[in-house]
Amino acid sequence: MKGLVALVVAATWSVPALASDWAIDHSNSRLGFVGTQSGAEFTGEFEQFEAVMRFDPENLEASGFDVTIDVTSFNSRSGDRDSTVAGKDWFWFKKFPAATYKTESIRNTGPNTYEAVGVLTIRNKSQTVPLPFTWVIDGDTATMDGDTTLTRTNFDVGTGEWRSGKTVGLQVDIQVDLKLTR
Amino acid sequence: MPIRNTTEQWGSIAKLLHWVIALAVIVMIGLGWWADRLPYGSLKVDVFWVHKSLGMLILAAMVLRLGWRLVNPAPPLPAGLKTWERWAAHWTHYGLYALLIAMPVSGWVINSAANFPLSVFGWFTVPAITGPNEDVKALAANVHWLLSWVIIATVVLHVGAALKHHIVLKDDVLRRMLPFSKVKS
Repeated sequence: MKGLVALVVAATWSVPALASDWAIDHSNSRLGFVGTQSGAEFTGEFEQFEAVMRFDPENLEASGFDVTIDVTSFNSRSGDRDSTVAGKDWFWFKKFPAATYKTESIRNTGPNTYEAVGVLTIRNKSQTVPLPFTWVIDGDTATMDGDTTLTRTNFDVGTGEWRSGKTVGLQVDIQVDLKLTR
Repeated sequence: MPIRNTTEQWGSIAKLLHWVIALAVIVMIGLGWWADRLPYGSLKVDVFWVHKSLGMLILAAMVLRLGWRLVNPAPPLPAGLKTWERWAAHWTHYGLYALLIAMPVSGWVINSAANFPLSVFGWFTVPAITGPNEDVKALAANVHWLLSWVIIATVVLHVGAALKHHIVLKDDVLRRMLPFSKVKS
């Protein structure tokens, strides 16, 4: 009996310990987006974001990402656009300064390729968002490359007169390019 | 009506470019005026988008027109004009060519410096001609505004002179640019 308890305790304790924590090298990482405006693309970044990145290709069960994005760090190098998205119809910086992405599962889909499924919350609106990505480990460094497409109105980003998608496209491509160390 | 210019009148290509651009310029002044006064919002962005799209087409048409003019001598001014009148006619025409090229270029600079993408009526995307820069944007916006008034003044001069030729001097200067009209001589 004692042995069984010890085994269960060991099993429960050992699982999270197997997946390692990775630190993001922010100077070489980018959380970017591509949107469309009047039928043409524009790009930009969220310059500030923090994340707990736990990842082990041998232990995906214990792997997971917990990301907090400072949406007020939206930078598309356009004074007009950057000030517009701060407003109530868009991100509403004053009320909702942060967005979060928390993964619920990660599965292997091929060599070095994975798909995370997580909950993205922007403006207190939550949606399950899949994030296909590659994760390549080289010693104690790793490169993560992910892309996913969001429908902005699912998160009330661009409401009111902007909701139709006629002026600003509804689909926004999110690009995750990270360098990490452990 | 000949396709190319003759010594009596403008050819069909020159006439077509003249009148299409004239109409577009009037529409552009209206769109620019309206968009500028709209409160910030999707309608303002949409109206400016039509303004920018049409502006790029005017620029393309002006480049074609300048090229056509260079390989196609203009019909001469009527005899009997005073030296200053010839001088005024030439410089008004040079001015209009320069203005109708400088105007869309300054608008293109505003849009580029604002880091707005530009798809002409959704047909094709035009690249930026400057990097994002708020100072350049403000400067180009001032130039664009100033040029709009210079264009209006020059067009008033141009139309006034054409009407003077037609009504007071009763010569062919206006008639030879009108579509489907027969010149007297």
